[in-house]
Amino acid sequence: MLELSGVEVVYHSVVLVLKGISLNVPQGSIVALLGPNGAGKTTTLRALTGLLDIHEGRITKGQILWQGQNIASQKAESIVASGIAQVMEGRRIFPELSVEENLFAGASGRPKKDALSDMEKFYARFAILGQRRKQMAGYLSGGEQQMLAIARALMAKPKLLLLDEPSLGLAPKIVAQVGELIQEVNKEGVSILLVEQNASLALDLASYAYVMESGKIVLDGSSQELKDDKDVQEFYLGVGTKQSSYRDVKLYRRRKRWLS
Amino acid sequence: MQEFLQYLISGLALGALYALVALGFVVIYRASQVFNFAHGELLTFGAVLMVWLNSPPQVGELGLGSVSVDGLGLPWGVALFLSMLVTGAVAAAIERFALRPLVGRPIFVAIIITLFIGFILRTFVMLIWGNDAMPILTPWDSMGSFELAGAMLDYNSLAAIAAAAVLFVSFGLMIRFTRLGILMRAISSDQETSLALGIPVGRILGLTWFIAGAFAAVSGIFLGVRDYSVDLNLGFVALRAFPAVIVGGLDSALGAVIAALILGVLEVLTAGYVNAELGAFGKNFHMVLPYVVMIFFLVFKPYGLFGTKKVERL
Ligand SMILES: Nc1ncnc2c1ncn2[C@@H]1O[C@H](COP(=O)(O)OP(=O)(O)OP(=O)(O)O)[C@@H](O)[C@H]1O
Ligand SMILES: [Mg+2]
Repeated sequence: MLELSGVEVVYHSVVLVLKGISLNVPQGSIVALLGPNGAGKTTTLRALTGLLDIHEGRITKGQILWQGQNIASQKAESIVASGIAQVMEGRRIFPELSVEENLFAGASGRPKKDALSDMEKFYARFAILGQRRKQMAGYLSGGEQQMLAIARALMAKPKLLLLDEPSLGLAPKIVAQVGELIQEVNKEGVSILLVEQNASLALDLASYAYVMESGKIVLDGSSQELKDDKDVQEFYLGVGTKQSSYRDVKLYRRRKRWLS
Repeated sequence: MQEFLQYLISGLALGALYALVALGFVVIYRASQVFNFAHGELLTFGAVLMVWLNSPPQVGELGLGSVSVDGLGLPWGVALFLSMLVTGAVAAAIERFALRPLVGRPIFVAIIITLFIGFILRTFVMLIWGNDAMPILTPWDSMGSFELAGAMLDYNSLAAIAAAAVLFVSFGLMIRFTRLGILMRAISSDQETSLALGIPVGRILGLTWFIAGAFAAVSGIFLGVRDYSVDLNLGFVALRAFPAVIVGGLDSALGAVIAALILGVLEVLTAGYVNAELGAFGKNFHMVLPYVVMIFFLVFKPYGLFGTKKVERL
């Protein structure tokens, strides 16, 4: 349903950040995209949703096929209208707008009546959001803000939901709740591309995963395959933790292997 | 006491007009993070356009003005409405064709561009309508007033207060309760997120500029009415609303309105009571006072009465 092939992205006309990314999100699936800081995960999502412009970035090569159409370099507005919604890194709720207004802002392309009835559904699902609907969203806790951010993106009625590190900065219990929510949303027919550094969460949820480093996909496979992979275990799942200095050396060596 | 009441009403009227000007600045600043230096010229443009649309064709001697205007003679209300519409469209065009292509460039560039467009607009007005003062007509007796508790309240002031009040209330309701208002607030809160949510950011920014332009026209027109005439320098008043923007907080619409009302009253009261006491030095002291207040705020309370702390100073 979504297919990236050989996508390259350059910032400020000079910095090549994505060096030919290819990946696939089949209809109805949850796919994870893993990678360390600075790998280019967020940049990949920006390329998908037409948000490179405001960062002075540009897609210089490759194709992004969405339901058979090339959407590379289309405007954000029309990409959202075509059924791709995004929850950005860091939640990015509008702090001085009320919970209700935040949700409403997510449904700008839809008739008011539909938006209102969807809102009621979210209030039924997240009692807290319902209770605080008139309150400023900035006063919600981190976990509540993440739920709001996801609900707000869903207000656009997407077919594909992109999530950028939804577990970031949340307590384990809340992370589990976010995980459940992602699964529920997926069961309702929304395909999901999940960007994460928290590999154990991502691999539990996803059926297929890609690992990205320095702008390239270095590894991909079914979640089970990746869970069994030694490197992934060591660097992303924290299995068999060793002394840190020794780890750093190994990390460097392994990374070289992946990149070659 | 009667005198005080008269000054108060006159000051509130002036303050209400400053507030309209300030609101135009703030609305644009909040949407585009640009300080629009063409705003003053939009005031002039709107007022001159109004005079041209409203003045009857080939008026000879209207009494007040020095020049006759060969206008279209449209009814006053229609002329006001059209002037708002066209001035709004000019402002929206500035956003669309001069500023939107600059997205991602330093804000500094955008600000210089607005300054430049201001000059173009001024030149345009001068070429078409000349630079003489033109009389501005009103459907009410512009010299008239009525008596309340012994004070003479002039119609011009009351009309200015009423017009400003109508615009403030409708703008306030719009921004708070309508869908457009929610989206406008979302965009000024976080533009990237708004884009990511599929909000038509460009169109709404254009609309925001349109509203600011329409406000500029109304403020220009009523400032003209206050002086019974309109000329090329009318837009300099925008500079006198500047202190209100600083005192109120650059990103607070309510703050700017309150500050403008206070400064307007202060200006008229100073002109009435203080100037005379200061002798030769006091001749134009009321014009300086708002700047004194502004500098005080810049030094002691740089975020204004209601502004948020994170706002950068220009
Ligand atoms: N606007 C920009 N201009 C220039 N370089 C940028 C810009 N945004 C990101 N980069 C660079 O692109 C690279 C990838 O950044 P990106 O934000 O996509 O990484 P990420 O995988 O999302 O990292 P994280 O896990 O920290 O969020 C980084 O080296 C970063 O410095
Ligand atoms: Mg990122």
